[in-house]
Amino acid sequence: MRVQLTRTVALLALSAVARPAYAQVAEVDTAHSVFYEAPTRTHMFVYSPSLDVQVSPWSWLDVRAGWEADVVSGASVKVKAGPSYGATHSPDVVTTASVHDFRNVGRGELTVKGDATSLTAGYAYGTEHDYRSQSVHASARTDAFQHNTQFELSYAHNFDSVCDRVQSASAVDPTQWLALETSADCFTSATGRTTHPIAVDTYEASWSQSWTPVVATQLTYTAQLVDGFQSDPYRSVVLGEGLLAQEHEPNERAREAVTARVAWYLRPVRGALRVAVRGYHDTWAIDSGSAEVEAEKSIGEALRVLLRARLYRQTGAVFWSDDYTGGSPPLGPRGQYWSGDRELSPFSSWLVGLRVVWALAPPNRRLLGVVQSLKLAASANVSSSTYDQYTLGGIPVSNARAYVGTISLSAAF
Amino acid sequence: MDGKPRSEREVRARKLAVFLVCLFLFLTAGCATVAPQERAILADPTMQFDAETKHDAALRHAIENREGSMGGTGASGGGCGCN
Repeated sequence: MRVQLTRTVALLALSAVARPAYAQVAEVDTAHSVFYEAPTRTHMFVYSPSLDVQVSPWSWLDVRAGWEADVVSGASVKVKAGPSYGATHSPDVVTTASVHDFRNVGRGELTVKGDATSLTAGYAYGTEHDYRSQSVHASARTDAFQHNTQFELSYAHNFDSVCDRVQSASAVDPTQWLALETSADCFTSATGRTTHPIAVDTYEASWSQSWTPVVATQLTYTAQLVDGFQSDPYRSVVLGEGLLAQEHEPNERAREAVTARVAWYLRPVRGALRVAVRGYHDTWAIDSGSAEVEAEKSIGEALRVLLRARLYRQTGAVFWSDDYTGGSPPLGPRGQYWSGDRELSPFSSWLVGLRVVWALAPPNRRLLGVVQSLKLAASANVSSSTYDQYTLGGIPVSNARAYVGTISLSAAF
Repeated sequence: MDGKPRSEREVRARKLAVFLVCLFLFLTAGCATVAPQERAILADPTMQFDAETKHDAALRHAIENREGSMGGTGASGGGCGCN
């Protein structure tokens, strides 16, 4: 009996260590992206490298570690003024607002897998000159109805903090608060600096369904609660003659979105059409809708080409105004909050893109003796935004185009 | 999309409609059976909603930072990069 038990344990241990000759045990991914945007009088350039490593020591366990960064340079809007103020003044909205930042994020994740279920938990830590972020997340996934149905629940919590200046003791009203000049001395014990906490809770539930051998859908609900300082600490808003105050947005924001996606395989063209629509609403009264179409076709055994198009439209936040100093509606003050954030203004945008993926996975042999599969991908995307109300001191923003290019390489060993 | 705040009744009616549609689809999901031998196309990379998540992460990040909305692309976090 004891000999049999020892043999069983030995066999189990062997089966865990000795794997089939071509089983994948590790995967390395690296991606490099550049983002460039040059609307009126501003230029923003971001380079984003990333590296991820995944190891699967056993069939039931995946261990992932990753790093990503954003190297940012350019200019953003420092002082927000609108047309009625801009008609009589010449506010310097951009030139002193140069931005140089370096965002680093390190992350780790574990996934425990069963036949029909998996559990994932992870942690990420991010730093910028003026921002710190710690995030924990967990998700559970299960299959049902002969793997035709998948349900997934995810939760993430961010413990973030943002740098700000210490306001004068006499500045008791937000209209007297001044914007942060630079990120120098942030997250030190310097007397002129402080930090504000931001808590972010994100909940997501998704349901994926295979309906026929060529049609699959996915329905996702996302809810997010944000509690903390959400303004840009560097930006000031002109509120009246001689009155310039740091941007002041509400501390609480509840957001929710529903996304429906369908993928339909078209046999005659050996490709798939994917359509996604999303509706969004939040407690700042922003409503938005987006529609995205992707067509991806296989060419030969190794190549895939994707074309993408996306349309987006949103309303403005209830406290958004292009000019808080006055003017005819929709200009004018909006109660106790003010913002110069163009992302909170009503606007629409479009995006088109191209992606090419080349994947090589020769059966029953390894490239260079170690690489089981190799994947190289490149993409280019351009988007353009049209702002209904947002101006820079009354000057409409033109050429609001953004370009994003990415190359990536994945290798499985 | 006209910028007018929606009434609570209207919001509740919309939520109820979404819930009923989801319930209907969920109840019919069990009737949809794709046999294992018919699943080859469903496993094709072109049929995956997130086949290139890591490659497209920077694009999604850029889109989210340029819009006032979010959602539908996963709940994991890690940094802002938005100033």
